[in-house]
Amino acid sequence: MKEKIEKLLETKEKIKLGGGEKRIEKQHSKGKLTARERIELLLDEGSFIEIDAFVKHRCTNFGMEKTEAPGDGVVTGYGTVDGRLIFVYAQDFTVLGGSLGEMHAAKICKVQDMALKMGAPIVGINDSGGARIQEGVDALSGYGNIFYRNTISSGVIPQITAIMGPCAGGAVYSPALTDFIFMVENTSQMFITGPQVIKTVTGEDVTQEELGGAKTHNTISGVAHFMDKTEEEAIKRIKTLLSYLPSNNLEVPPVYETSDDINRVEEKLNEIVPTNPNKPYDMKEIIQLLADNGELFEIQQHYAQNIITGYIRLNGKTVGVVANQPRILAGCLDINASDKAARFIRTCDAFNIPLLNLVDVPGFLPGTDQEYGGIIRHGAKMLYAYSEATVPKVTLIIRKAYGGAYIAMCNKELGADQVFAWPNAEIAVMGPEGAANIIFKHDIKESENPIETRQQKIEEYRNTVANPYIAAERGYIDDVIVPSTTRPRLISAFNMLESKRETNPSKKHGNLPV
Amino acid sequence: MRKFLINVNGNKYEVEVEEITEGKTVQNPSTTQAKPATQPKPASKAKTQPEEKEVVVTEGAEVVEAPMPGTILSINVKEGDEVKAGDVLLILEAMKMENEILAPIDGKVTSIGTTKGASVNTGDKLVVIE
Repeated sequence: MKEKIEKLLETKEKIKLGGGEKRIEKQHSKGKLTARERIELLLDEGSFIEIDAFVKHRCTNFGMEKTEAPGDGVVTGYGTVDGRLIFVYAQDFTVLGGSLGEMHAAKICKVQDMALKMGAPIVGINDSGGARIQEGVDALSGYGNIFYRNTISSGVIPQITAIMGPCAGGAVYSPALTDFIFMVENTSQMFITGPQVIKTVTGEDVTQEELGGAKTHNTISGVAHFMDKTEEEAIKRIKTLLSYLPSNNLEVPPVYETSDDINRVEEKLNEIVPTNPNKPYDMKEIIQLLADNGELFEIQQHYAQNIITGYIRLNGKTVGVVANQPRILAGCLDINASDKAARFIRTCDAFNIPLLNLVDVPGFLPGTDQEYGGIIRHGAKMLYAYSEATVPKVTLIIRKAYGGAYIAMCNKELGADQVFAWPNAEIAVMGPEGAANIIFKHDIKESENPIETRQQKIEEYRNTVANPYIAAERGYIDDVIVPSTTRPRLISAFNMLESKRETNPSKKHGNLPV
Repeated sequence: MRKFLINVNGNKYEVEVEEITEGKTVQNPSTTQAKPATQPKPASKAKTQPEEKEVVVTEGAEVVEAPMPGTILSINVKEGDEVKAGDVLLILEAMKMENEILAPIDGKVTSIGTTKGASVNTGDKLVVIE
């Protein structure tokens, strides 16, 4: 027996080394950690339990039967983060370049199935050269199995992917189907077709990093949600993200005790919005003044910055914030902002996270590129996502709320449970300037001094229509509040809404415009 | 294309004026009554459109483009200035908002492609930073 135990331990040690010391060194020299090191960093110390370490590939083509591949190039298992169960898989680049074959995929599918059954989040760490070509269609079948499980698990358990190396071709679609994608600057790339293919087909010269690096996907394409300088920072951020999320769709996010006064009156809020409606300000400051300990965990921080999406805590409970950012593109809604917000709203709704909508929006961004790009169907996603969401929804109108964009930011009719406005809010079909030009067209035309008359009419319109009181008189707004008291009012509203029960009619699924 | 209402001896003229610069296509301005004016009258609105400036882009330089159509309200930097990422380069008035156009990187302003009062379109090159 002793011998057998020794042999077992020896084999396990060998598997633990993956592709061997040499390849591990090479991995480190690129500024990358190994699969096991990454898992160790992510999970609570000593909590990782490995599954399927003995799995081997079954391929005999092209001399593969002689190739050793410990763990078949992927480490899978479970453990805890902050004491909560998490399933994990990490591709091992030191073993056959982390290439995906039949058994490699089967290992991933097994933990995917377990995560779904147990209702626990799954974190995947990608670092793979792609499909193992020797295995042919078996590798493709493997990808298909993973994609299918990603989709079926969507909205049931949080799925998080970290890209920490190459992720090319079909492999990109597993991350794309998950809820959040993390990337690391300079060491991770995602693309469907690589630079060489692009060069031969279109003649464009582009580097891997320019084509599919962290910056590209965080600023231009919007594929990724987070970008960090090092793998350590990225893994730390994954843990923070997990703290805002529930384990599955039937639970609520963990509640953290807060030392921040729930009745904190913040005088700064009375001054923060410039009196001149043409002046921008930083919406993030408002969010930070409202949140517990001033903490805002932003999602897609670098993409479509005209809208802010992220998590805060109010009285220790997770709240998803969607806020217009007047500093960028005047806070207009455009195609990218609509996509970003709609995705975020649906993520929150799927995981029982209440929504707080901070509105200062002059409208949808005008322009041919927006119209040709389909702003109609992209903007519709926001309306759809808000209407469909059954979580508590609280809307606060901070300044401008004009036209369709006002509705798209979740007004009363889209199901906002509570709508508040600050006293300087302007709620109308369009801004005073545009409205005055239309309503008082003749007055302005026939006046002795059209410019002066126009200014008068703009003021007249602003005073009579563009204020929160007309909407409040009709009950579209529940209350006009003193800005400094916003935090206590929001906490009270979300407390009241905690027992909210609302169900949409049963259906196979809705038909979200995509 | 800008519209002006001009009062000449009690007669009102609605005039559309478009600035013509090299490389731009000229549209036929339509007027409702007459087109006597080449220069708009009301002093408060009579902002002569400045000439478009060409920017010099050297390789590796960061070009700051107009994010949306609007008017340049002010330019806070001049060629040769050192700027830090996040500094306000210029103010672009668009969508009834004085939008701050910020420097994306630390560097030196090597070229400015616009002037105060100019109308810009999405994608117009405003400032080059190296």
